[in-house]
Amino acid sequence: MDRIEIRNKIRDKVVALAKELGGDASQIQDEDIIPATGLLDSAGILALVVWYEETFDMKLKQEEINIDNLGSVESMTNYVLARKGEV
Amino acid sequence: MPHPVYVPCVNINDDIVLIVDIGVSAGDQVKKGDPIADVETDKAVIAVEAEHDGYILKILCEADERVGVGSIMMWIGDSPDEPVPEVPVPAPADTSPGRSSVQPTAKARALLEKHGLNAGDIPHAGDRLTAQDIEAFIASQGEKAGQPDATKTKDIGESLPGVPGSLQPLSAEEHGMVSTVVWHRDHAASAYLEVEYDQKNWEAYAGEFAERHKLMLSPLLPLMAYRLVEIAGETPKINTTLVNGQKYQYDRINLGFTVQVGDTLYLTVVQQASGMEDKQFIEALGEVQRHAMQKKLRSEESQGSTIGFSSMARWTVSRHVPILAPYTSLMVAHSAPAREGAMAVLGASYDHRVLSGYDVARVLQELAQPPVRD
Repeated sequence: MDRIEIRNKIRDKVVALAKELGGDASQIQDEDIIPATGLLDSAGILALVVWYEETFDMKLKQEEINIDNLGSVESMTNYVLARKGEV
Repeated sequence: MPHPVYVPCVNINDDIVLIVDIGVSAGDQVKKGDPIADVETDKAVIAVEAEHDGYILKILCEADERVGVGSIMMWIGDSPDEPVPEVPVPAPADTSPGRSSVQPTAKARALLEKHGLNAGDIPHAGDRLTAQDIEAFIASQGEKAGQPDATKTKDIGESLPGVPGSLQPLSAEEHGMVSTVVWHRDHAASAYLEVEYDQKNWEAYAGEFAERHKLMLSPLLPLMAYRLVEIAGETPKINTTLVNGQKYQYDRINLGFTVQVGDTLYLTVVQQASGMEDKQFIEALGEVQRHAMQKKLRSEESQGSTIGFSSMARWTVSRHVPILAPYTSLMVAHSAPAREGAMAVLGASYDHRVLSGYDVARVLQELAQPPVRD
């Protein structure tokens, strides 16, 4: 899976989770800080993190779950690639 | 030193799980994290992993067997020739008095079901609870103990509704919920009270905390739960229960925190929360919440709560009266403000045998304000 595929997959998931909560995240930018957008509540972000681990087949330590690593679509994409050793 | 491997609890309502596969044999060498067995509930199949490096000393169950959550499924030793302890070690996570990790035989389970009895209430001579143990217990208790559990069969079995329908067995989750509610009804003298408070101070405190630690998830509710742990440390009375007419003072604080995953409600548990710093507690709670969402809760992450915290803020309900988890005396209920600028509500279900309204009101008033840190 290349960078663009990964990024699109993550963005699609954010949009889908926001839709479940009655929101519209279709205009979210790759650099937007997801928690700050208010589109996902804590349970929604937790669901995103769990999906992220399963989809990209990597276990995260609790201390890895922070804004720097997973705060935006872009940083989530970068983190997958970094963990897979592709950056 | 031999280490027991416990049958995991996949969710709070599981009493029994099915051993699908045992992936090791006695004598096998394993490393921490190696899959050693698969267990199944109505909801999921999960892999049980070795928690220690070592050798499989003895396997106490087999594939296709139904076993009790919290019972010992096998032993791992540091060396291949260590003796296996003869006396089963109780699961450390289950601190609730009166509960037992004893594994009933199939016939015993049928009798427990028939008479509405709890395995933990019945004395037993051997490693497993047998039908003879139960029959002896019933005989010693007279007719009363042998009455069928009214919550399960009496009302429906004696008089079906006049509208056409069909009887269906309860799932493991539904059965667990019934057990909890029945404890609440039959044992606790449950009461409820609430206070209004301004959530702005807590929101500011949590916002500053999140920014300082670059958190992804809002720490508002975890920080409030942590504050409850601190208050319980200062007020041991709220971390007690009543057993056979005597107070049972817990010597640790295990914080129960409700998590809704799909249509399943879990009471996740942070063990020994009172020994943690706030950040450490938030990480520990985050970990068990993730495990709940993955349906991979370990047994110690879903058993043995001594005090509880529940929120339905996500569903914007203005008030909810939670059920007390068995052997707890206080479950705090958080609700979101009904509208922008409105006061929020902190409520609590409590066991009036142990706590008075005065006790609980003081706890809630203290909890309504974030702590002042140096």
